Amino acid sequence: MALEAQLSADEKTLVVRMDEKFDFGKVQDFRAAYTGIPDSVKTIEVDLAETEYMDSSALGMLLNMQKVLKGRVSNYRITHSRPQVLKILTISRFDKKFQIE
Amino acid sequence: MRVLVVDDESINRFLLVHMLEEEGYLDIYEARSGHEALLLAEKIKPDLVLLDVVMPGMDGLEVASRLKTSNDVVYLPIIFITSLDEKDTVVRCLDVGGDDFVSKPFDKTVLLAKVKAHLRTRELSTNINAQNQELTYFRHTVEREHEIIEHIFSKAIINNPTVTPFFDYRNIPATEFSGDVFLCESSPNGGLYFLIGDFTGHGLASAIGALPVTRAFQAMASKGLSVSEIASTLNKTLEGLLPIHMFFAAAIVEVNENGRRFNVWNGGMPDLLLQGPRGNLEKRFSSQHMALGILDDREFEDEDEVFEAMAGSRLLAYSDGLIELTNEDGEMFGESGLEDLFIGNPDISVADLIEHMRGFMGEMDAHDDVTLTLYQCQDLSSLRKENTVTPLPFRVSVDLDPELLRAGASIQHFIDLICSQLGLSWIRSDLFTILTELYSNALEHGVLDISSSLKRTSEGFIEYYTLRAERLEQLSDGFVNFEASFNPLQRRLCLLVSDSGKGFDVNELPIPDPEQSFGRGISMLRSLCESVEYLAGGTTAKVILAL
Repeated sequence: MALEAQLSADEKTLVVRMDEKFDFGKVQDFRAAYTGIPDSVKTIEVDLAETEYMDSSALGMLLNMQKVLKGRVSNYRITHSRPQVLKILTISRFDKKFQIE
Repeated sequence: MRVLVVDDESINRFLLVHMLEEEGYLDIYEARSGHEALLLAEKIKPDLVLLDVVMPGMDGLEVASRLKTSNDVVYLPIIFITSLDEKDTVVRCLDVGGDDFVSKPFDKTVLLAKVKAHLRTRELSTNINAQNQELTYFRHTVEREHEIIEHIFSKAIINNPTVTPFFDYRNIPATEFSGDVFLCESSPNGGLYFLIGDFTGHGLASAIGALPVTRAFQAMASKGLSVSEIASTLNKTLEGLLPIHMFFAAAIVEVNENGRRFNVWNGGMPDLLLQGPRGNLEKRFSSQHMALGILDDREFEDEDEVFEAMAGSRLLAYSDGLIELTNEDGEMFGESGLEDLFIGNPDISVADLIEHMRGFMGEMDAHDDVTLTLYQCQDLSSLRKENTVTPLPFRVSVDLDPELLRAGASIQHFIDLICSQLGLSWIRSDLFTILTELYSNALEHGVLDISSSLKRTSEGFIEYYTLRAERLEQLSDGFVNFEASFNPLQRRLCLLVSDSGKGFDVNELPIPDPEQSFGRGISMLRSLCESVEYLAGGTTAKVILAL
C-alpha cells in the first residue's frame, strides 16, 4: 500500500499518510483515500512525515481534493513536512489554502 | 488453425491427416515434396508444419531452414517427423530451425499434445504481432500529430525579436514539448515585460496551455497594462480553462524605460534573484501568491513588488526543473546549488550555469523542463514605440447631471471612449489619474462648494467627506462637463473639465505642501501634463497631454 488513510474514532478527522514519493503515481490511491468518507469528517490531515519528494502534480491532487469536498470538509492540514517538501509548499503558497504545520 | 503436412509417403500423410481430423483440425493441406511444400506454404500461410526429414530431392532440413527465413514476423512452428531416432539427426533438425520432433511410428497422444502446445505459442505470437502493428500505427499517428502541433506552436509562440536580445535565455524540455514558458514583449511606454512560467507536469498536455497565455500576455503587454492586471487576467482565463489539478506557476515582470525599476508578481515560481554589479545578492523576489489558475477572481491577489535596482544589476529567473535536477546518487541540485554558483559571480552566463548543471547530472536525464533567463539592467528607451495614432481629430464631451454625479464611475466610461481610439490605449493609466483629480476638484470645490481648507485638520478631514456625502445626496441641480479634443498632427490631447460652481481666484492657488493632505493635486497634474491652467474664473480646468 502506497499510502494509508485512517479515520479517527469520533469519525471527525481523516489522516492520510503519504509514503516517500508524492507524485503522479499516487493519483488513484490518493483520490480513493478521501472518496466515500462519512459526512461527519470535518478535518483532513495529510501527513507528509515520510515524504521525501513531491512534485507539482501532487499539489494539483491536493487542490482537487478541496474542490471535490467543497462545502463538506472545512479544515485541511498538511503536517510533518520535511524541509525540502515544505519549500515546495511555501513557494506555491499553499499556506493560503492549507494549514501547514 | 491451418496445418501443412509434408511427407513423400502417402500412407504417412494419410495417418497424420486422419489423426488431426479426428481431433477437430479440419483445415489441413498436404505436400508430397519439399518443393511443393515451399510453394504451398507461400500460398496458404500455414499455422503449423509437420515435416518429414528424409524425402527425395529437397529434404526436410532444407525446407525448414527456408520456411524459417521467409517467415520471421510471427512464430511458425515446425515439427519434424523422423524415423531416425538418432541424437545427431534430432540436433540437426533443431539447428536448422525446427521446433520439435515426433518419431515414427506416431504416438497419437504425444503428437496431438505437441501440435496443441505449438499452436498455442503460435497464437500468442500472432497476438503480439497484431499489437505491435497497432502500436506502430499509433506511434506514427502520434508523431504526425506532434509534428502538426509543433508547427502551430512554432508559429504561435514567437517572442518579439526586438526584445529577445535583452535576455540570455535557455529552455531545455524534458520531452518534445515544454511545459515551461518564457515570453517577453516591449511596452508602449518604453521598457519591457517578461513572463517565466511552468505548467503542472510536462509534455504536450502542459504545453498546450501556453497558447492562450501567449496570446493574452502579448495583447496586454502591448497595451501597457500593469503586471497586476496581467496576472489577474491570466488567472481568470486559466481558471476557466484548466482542469482543477493543473495550474500555471508564473512570475510576471515589468521593467521600466530606464531598465532598472522592476514590478514583479510572483505566483509559485522559485525566487527571482537580483544580482548587484559586484555579484552580491541585491534583492530576492519570492513567491507571494498561489500559481495562476487556482484561485477564483474574488480570492485572487494581484499585489506586485516594486524595486529599483542599481545600474549594471542582473535579474535571474528560472523554473523549478533546475533545482529538482538529480544526480546519480539521488542528490538534488537544489536552490543552494544554483545560488552558490550565481551569487558572487557577476560574470557567469546562462550557458555557464547549464554547463554546471550538466556536469552535476552526469549520465542522468532531467525529469522536468528547465528554463533559465537572465536580464541585465540597461537603458530600454530604444523599445519605445512611435505608435500610430488615429488620423481623425475628434472631440467628445459629456455632461454629468446630479444623477450621474451620484452614480460615480463616469470617468471610467469617458476614458473608455478616448482610449478605444487607435494608438491611445496606453495613456489609460495617466488619463485615469488626471481625470480623477480634476473631477474631484470640480465636484467637491465647485458643484458641492466645500472648501479644501477643511482638510487641514484631521477632524476637518472627516467633516469634509461627511459634507461631501450629504451634499451630493441632496444635490438637485449643477453639473460637471468633460470635453476631450484630440489633435493628431500635434499629437496633443486637450481635456476641459468645467463645473457649475462659483469658481475661485486662480491667482490664489495653494502652494503645494507635502506635509498637508490637500493641495498636492496640482503638482501631480503638472508632472503628468504638458500644461495645466484654469479658465472662466476657476470654473474650468484645461490640461494638455503630449503623446
